[in-house]
Amino acid sequence: MEKARVVIIRSERALAANGLPDPSSMLRMFRKGLEILTGSNQAEEALRQLFQPAENIGIKINTIGRRAISTYPEMAVTLGLWLGKTLGHEDKIIIWDRTNEELKEAGYKLSRSVGSLRIMGTDSSGIGYTSQPVINRSVASLFSRIQAELVDSAISLALLKDHGIAGITGGMKNYFGAIHNPNKYHDSNCDPYLADLFEIDLIRKKHRLTILDALRVQYHRGPSYHPQWNEKTNQLIFGFDPVAVDAVGWKLIENLRAKKGLPTLSEERREPTYLQTAENSGLGLAHFDNIEIIEEEV
Amino acid sequence: MRRRDFLKGTAAGSGWLLTSNSLRTGQQRLLATEARTAAGLSRVEARYYDRLPDREIKCRLCPRFCQLGDKERGFCGVRENQNGKYYTLVYGQVASYNIDPIEKKPLFHFLPGAMAFSLATAGCNVACKFCQNWEISQMRPEQVQSRYLPPEAVAEAAARYNCPIVAYTYSEPVIFYEFMYDTSLETRKKGLRNAVITNGFINPEPLAELIKVVEAIKIDLKAFNQDFYTNYVRGQLKPVLDSIKQIASSKVWLEIVYLVIPTLNDKAEEIRQMARWLKTEIGPDYPLHFSRFQPMYLIKNLPPTPISTLERLRDIALEEGLHYVYLGNVPGHPGENTYCPNCGQVVIERYGYTIKKNSLSGNKCRHCHQIIPGVWS
Repeated sequence: MEKARVVIIRSERALAANGLPDPSSMLRMFRKGLEILTGSNQAEEALRQLFQPAENIGIKINTIGRRAISTYPEMAVTLGLWLGKTLGHEDKIIIWDRTNEELKEAGYKLSRSVGSLRIMGTDSSGIGYTSQPVINRSVASLFSRIQAELVDSAISLALLKDHGIAGITGGMKNYFGAIHNPNKYHDSNCDPYLADLFEIDLIRKKHRLTILDALRVQYHRGPSYHPQWNEKTNQLIFGFDPVAVDAVGWKLIENLRAKKGLPTLSEERREPTYLQTAENSGLGLAHFDNIEIIEEEV
Repeated sequence: MRRRDFLKGTAAGSGWLLTSNSLRTGQQRLLATEARTAAGLSRVEARYYDRLPDREIKCRLCPRFCQLGDKERGFCGVRENQNGKYYTLVYGQVASYNIDPIEKKPLFHFLPGAMAFSLATAGCNVACKFCQNWEISQMRPEQVQSRYLPPEAVAEAAARYNCPIVAYTYSEPVIFYEFMYDTSLETRKKGLRNAVITNGFINPEPLAELIKVVEAIKIDLKAFNQDFYTNYVRGQLKPVLDSIKQIASSKVWLEIVYLVIPTLNDKAEEIRQMARWLKTEIGPDYPLHFSRFQPMYLIKNLPPTPISTLERLRDIALEEGLHYVYLGNVPGHPGENTYCPNCGQVVIERYGYTIKKNSLSGNKCRHCHQIIPGVWS
């Protein structure tokens, strides 16, 4: 079995003096992450192999925590502009989440202008959700028309956090923001719902890349923001295998918890069992024996 | 405005009530300011929750006991933790309203022939795969079009259109508990009555308070086994049975509906057990309705319930000693009628939602003077 490759890029300069991501450092981290992940020595070439020029690319972010604990605009916009510039069509890149209000409160400036990066919520005028539920195993949901109809391929640019029910929230759970009823899928540690959702073609076939934002990690009492349990780690985690990336994120959270003397997620009966379910469904690899982790500093 | 115009307006999503001169402008503005956010969701503090450390909360409204961090919503999708305080987002946010005959709920022993001003918000605390109103019940409030109708406006509209009943229905009124409760108080001031059409999935404490302000409750008993509740409802049977007992021990009128879905919850033995349980626990006099299933939402692969199945199940319930067992969604069937359990004569003859003939004399059978339990006037 071929191992899933997960790349951890660390930079002491990731966060600027104001505590926000430094765009030039972000770009360096994105480039290095892509290069190592693809084995290419030229990140832009790797991007062009990953995405076709005509494709509309969605960057799904997570803004439920507003400015305190959301995907940083300084990070997402840097990624979007880089993709747009490399692939030649800035307006084919859509940074998106559930609502415009959440996006604005997280610091994003909405944009649907022709020729520029698009930043919008599913509740934008003329968008909304598909009209009939898509059903897969335990899940039946309407999909954001951004994910279902506007984008051809997707990047999950997700914030890595502890989660009081799921155990952790990362790249897979980020897609809960693509459906109309995530509140229905938090029973039993979100298992099997997360795997069943990801298995739907609208996600599985469009998902190309996970980038976990682990610049600061909420390692306890997440997904809400609690500064006393939020640690700066200056890392981004990259992978094509959505399960493996989240498994590595889980390990990072466990390490932080152990360092602070907190019980493991298993001990708190919220181990992210959905990762094993996802592996069982053929969505990726959850076991560390099958994951190649490459770490690099930039 | 005539009733026909009202119904037309409802279907078209008209906001007539907001522009109605029955609502004084100042009052309208005040209520809007109090209860609504810029996004059109209400922000009224929820009842029945505990504050926990680290801005978490635990909801005590229904047996799910959702425990939520900041910015998270419960399973219902309409109650949200905002910085350690729990809010209902649907207070006054009416996603659907209509004037329906009370027989449509169905309530057959509660003011027969009366019209009910019926309303719902978005949201539900279960997720039935056969839901007929999933387009509001399985939605979050920001995903449906709503009209702002505070309790006073609901009571006033119901009175104006000669509806003696306000019915909380369509989705699941438990999840808009605060709005339902306050509206019930307002409607009582106008001499109107309140009917709750619910899954019964509510905790005893809020139910005990609700019972004090409403006059009738219809419970959808989805099946008589937990497996069905797990696989097709995502709820629990026992709390529903507890609710049935709690309501039956109060002064509130109770009726029970059982939607019969072919092959899923139509086993004769299970129906027999259910009928025995009902007779033992609440007595033989509360009506039980067997409703005909039509394929919809996530269960489109099963046929409508054969009428013969409904008839067989009705016979079983009658055999077990229940006095009032009805068939629903089969217009014109004799099982729609109310029969006197003493003399066997028809005391109320129905066709669909229409009363064809009411032979009650007060609360008694005109033929043999047997008391027929219910709220008849």
